[in-house]
Amino acid sequence: MDTALPGVTRPQTSRSYWLCQLGGWGLYAMIEAGIATRILRLPVGISLLELTGYALVGVALTHLLRAVLRWRAWARLPFYALAPRILAMALLLSLPVAAMTDHLSIAALWAPEQVDVDSLHISPGMIRPARALILVINTTALFAIWAVCYLTITALRDQRSAALRQSELTRALQLAELRLLKSQLNPHFLFNSLNSVRALIADDPGGAQKAVTQLARTLRYTLTAGREELVTLARELEIVEDYLALESLRFGERLRIARDLAPETMGVRVPVMLLQTVVENAIKHGIAELPAGGELRIVAALRGGALHIEVENTRPQAAQRALRNEGEGVGLDNAAERLRLLFGANARLDLDLSSAMVAVARIRIPGTA
Amino acid sequence: MRALIVDDEPLARRELARLLAEFGWVDIVGEAANAGEAAPLIERLLPDLLFLDIQMPGGTGFDLLQRLEHLPRVIFTTAYDKHALRAFEVNALDYLLKPIEPERLAAALARAQAAVASAPGAAATGGAILERLFLRDGDRCWFVPLREVRLFTAEGNYVRLSWDQSHPLLGRPLSSLEPRLDPKRFFRANRRQIVNLECIESVELGVNGRLHVQLRGGPEVEISRRQARLFRQLTSL
Repeated sequence: MDTALPGVTRPQTSRSYWLCQLGGWGLYAMIEAGIATRILRLPVGISLLELTGYALVGVALTHLLRAVLRWRAWARLPFYALAPRILAMALLLSLPVAAMTDHLSIAALWAPEQVDVDSLHISPGMIRPARALILVINTTALFAIWAVCYLTITALRDQRSAALRQSELTRALQLAELRLLKSQLNPHFLFNSLNSVRALIADDPGGAQKAVTQLARTLRYTLTAGREELVTLARELEIVEDYLALESLRFGERLRIARDLAPETMGVRVPVMLLQTVVENAIKHGIAELPAGGELRIVAALRGGALHIEVENTRPQAAQRALRNEGEGVGLDNAAERLRLLFGANARLDLDLSSAMVAVARIRIPGTA
Repeated sequence: MRALIVDDEPLARRELARLLAEFGWVDIVGEAANAGEAAPLIERLLPDLLFLDIQMPGGTGFDLLQRLEHLPRVIFTTAYDKHALRAFEVNALDYLLKPIEPERLAAALARAQAAVASAPGAAATGGAILERLFLRDGDRCWFVPLREVRLFTAEGNYVRLSWDQSHPLLGRPLSSLEPRLDPKRFFRANRRQIVNLECIESVELGVNGRLHVQLRGGPEVEISRRQARLFRQLTSL
């Protein structure tokens, strides 16, 4: 999982890896070559050639070390498990390096007198084995340091990209929530409803009180819609009914409502504000555009374990539709996307405009049990 | 002052009527629920003032104004409509936001009354002569006082107006406009153009005896040979 970085960052990562590899080993080889020519008085050509070979072998073996680190996912091990593994691996890899170097002129770089252990009075016969031992220890340390550097750098990088991803995700979610809120708080509906209430206050105080309650419930539901993703269909329908009662005040006899709701659908969990959005869309592009009004029909049924909801509205004539600058289905795109995000590709929200007389929005929510 | 209310919501009409009851001098002569109902009612009743909702089924308030032969003073009403609000503000039109505040209604009525008093409406002239036109072009719209229009030019079934610095297009043919123009002020110069006589700066006699009229701040218009004699009589040249 932690290596599953987005594809675009891979070339960048591998380029900086190779830059570090070649730069690090190159620098090491240069310094050692400097020591070899100035202190051991080796010919420049020889020491450069041999140390280049040493560095190239180092690059190859640490690349192998990196492969093992990634393959076994050692970065996720705790320190007490990680440290011995790294030391063992470094030691293992140092052996061929030491065996090779032992036959080269630059082996003198690791001779006991060069590393200040000649005070131990090593007998002449033991000088060669001592040099091999120093070579092994030195190379092991080199590989171990390499591994620590590699793990530190990759850990820092992963941490930063994870933080970045997290903040991007949070931002996308907030944006989606904001869009939901903005699309739901329909100011046209809100101010027209307030106007209806103002009109009712004198003529029908009881009706005005009821309307205020319904408006308050609708607003509260809308404003808290971001908190819960799913609600029961029964709960969503309560708000749809409040909304329709308010729209009925505005449109009067122009809005005729029919319902066919199977009782077993009431407990099914649906995305909050989904049906509300679809009904609002049907009013906006149907009844509100019809001088003589029209019918709104809401049907809910369970078929094959899936919830099917249909919202049907009388359509304005084509000539009148052409006057509007906004399409009938535009408002539903957001709702359809939220439905897909929550329930996957099996969930559907389609607007059927094949009939000239009615527009039908069809919702399909697969069973979650 | 005779007023007419156009709004598709019965409760909104009732609320406005109640608010207007405070102003005894405003007489509500009729109500309409959409543009289709409103147009014949306005032509018949010739109100001085129109309270006009924008979003209505079967045509917006702007659509209605473009269809009208008789154009009363207009106070737009809307609950919330981004496009309409922009149009109101850009074009300095008088509008009220629903729910309507009584103080704002009083101010808008005072402005309308002043406008009606200074320019008696169609009711006074019998509606035969057009005083103003409503034009819309995207976000821009105009109530054009016709005496300020220098020139009408036919463009197919439309008419291009030369008015101030703008050249709005009117969605009706020149032939239907002509009988409604004040004959003392407007003169048919040729097959395609009608000029405002008050806007003529100079008249020149061109080659082959044709008259060329230079309009103030506008183009030069040629007067057809058939109309030239009439023009001379009218302007006693």
